Amino acid sequence: MNVFLAVLWKDLLIEWRSRDRLVAMGIFAVLVVIVLYFAAAPGLGSEARAPGLLWVAYLFASVLGLNRAFALELENEALSGLALAPADRGWIFLGKAAASLLLLLIVQAGAALVFALAFEVAIAPVALPFAAIAFLGALGLCAVGTLFAAIAVRTTFREVMLPLLLLPLSVPVILGSVRATNALLLDGSLPWAATRLLLVTDAVFLIVSFVSFEYVLDD
Amino acid sequence: MPLSPPDRVIPTLHRATAIALSACAIAYGYLVVNAPVDSEQGVVQKILYLHVPCAMAAYLGFLLTAIGGGLYLWKREERFDRFAASAAEVGAFFCALVLVTGPIWGKGTWGSWWSWDLRLTVTLLLFLVYLSYLLLRSFTEGGDRKARFAAIYGIAGLLVIPLNYFAIDLAGGRSIHPENLEGGSLGAGMALPFAAGILTAIVAFSHLLLGRIDIARLRAQLAERDAEREMRGGGDCA
Repeated sequence: MNVFLAVLWKDLLIEWRSRDRLVAMGIFAVLVVIVLYFAAAPGLGSEARAPGLLWVAYLFASVLGLNRAFALELENEALSGLALAPADRGWIFLGKAAASLLLLLIVQAGAALVFALAFEVAIAPVALPFAAIAFLGALGLCAVGTLFAAIAVRTTFREVMLPLLLLPLSVPVILGSVRATNALLLDGSLPWAATRLLLVTDAVFLIVSFVSFEYVLDD
Repeated sequence: MPLSPPDRVIPTLHRATAIALSACAIAYGYLVVNAPVDSEQGVVQKILYLHVPCAMAAYLGFLLTAIGGGLYLWKREERFDRFAASAAEVGAFFCALVLVTGPIWGKGTWGSWWSWDLRLTVTLLLFLVYLSYLLLRSFTEGGDRKARFAAIYGIAGLLVIPLNYFAIDLAGGRSIHPENLEGGSLGAGMALPFAAGILTAIVAFSHLLLGRIDIARLRAQLAERDAEREMRGGGDCA
């Protein structure tokens, strides 16, 4: 548990001092929302597609942030230092994933604001369930994304490897989140099937990543 | 490098499956040619005898990839990694056949090459997962690291199959595929060529898998010999 808090604190402190990851993710997410707004040809049923576009922005921003989370650890062999920590590496995974999750949640809030303005969507009446779905989706992305970022960063093609590994496996998270967000924005209801899918996916991703992180740092 | 007992038996099994495959292929070809033509779909329906067995072989390949990966993480023996990598390659090959034969059948019966049908989409995603798996292997240096990373991804890829299935079902990708083939659901005279197709696909899968494992073993042996020679050469220089 101490290792979890130490890794979380270290990552947040680094981010607080540089703010590069948060700024890059935020600007990127807003840019994606704007580009997708024009790509979606407003008026041609774009309201129905809007939640999907928002989650595409979240997904791209998360890939950007997760890549950076482990690129940092390559400097001065910091990753080897982490691997040598006398603790279960699952806690290191949780610390890294929690830091990425917090940053992604901040980015999600900012991007949701721009999204609401651009697509003229009223998020305020469903703010709480919207935030809950955003949290569940972000948790799934960060859980499996942190595991794959730790893998991708040590390949020879690391910028491309993370999206290649993450995107096909993030489908349940994205589809569950889009479905739930869509229902929320349309009639204010929270569909149980989509929420259950998100809960199950998050649980599977968290358990698999927690257990297998041991083998990722095993050099 | 001395051969372990399982490695020793692989070339023999590979030859045996070649003979079995030849026999199965002849019987399969004969049965498919003489199978009755479907009254509604016409001759294009005969692709069923190739499409479904290939799908079974593809899913078997992905299951074996995860099992091989799990065994590698547990035992740390290189042969399990070779088994997993070979199963992924052969599985991806059969998956590609499914994705080629499916649209041909779809064009003939549904009138379109592609639809975002539940099973089609899950199979396409699975194919992409295993292409990523193979790319991960080629972009990772170091035998043990490559094997560990691939094992983790192979296991995660298999676990996501049911989740993808539920997710796409939820997103409205309702299946326009025929329901699962149950006993008696095939027309008269179709069960035998269908069973022959499954048997041939499994034998073909085994043959390719064994051949691929043998090639991987020979490559590993060659790499080890090169490394030894290099070390000896380096020692002489010193």
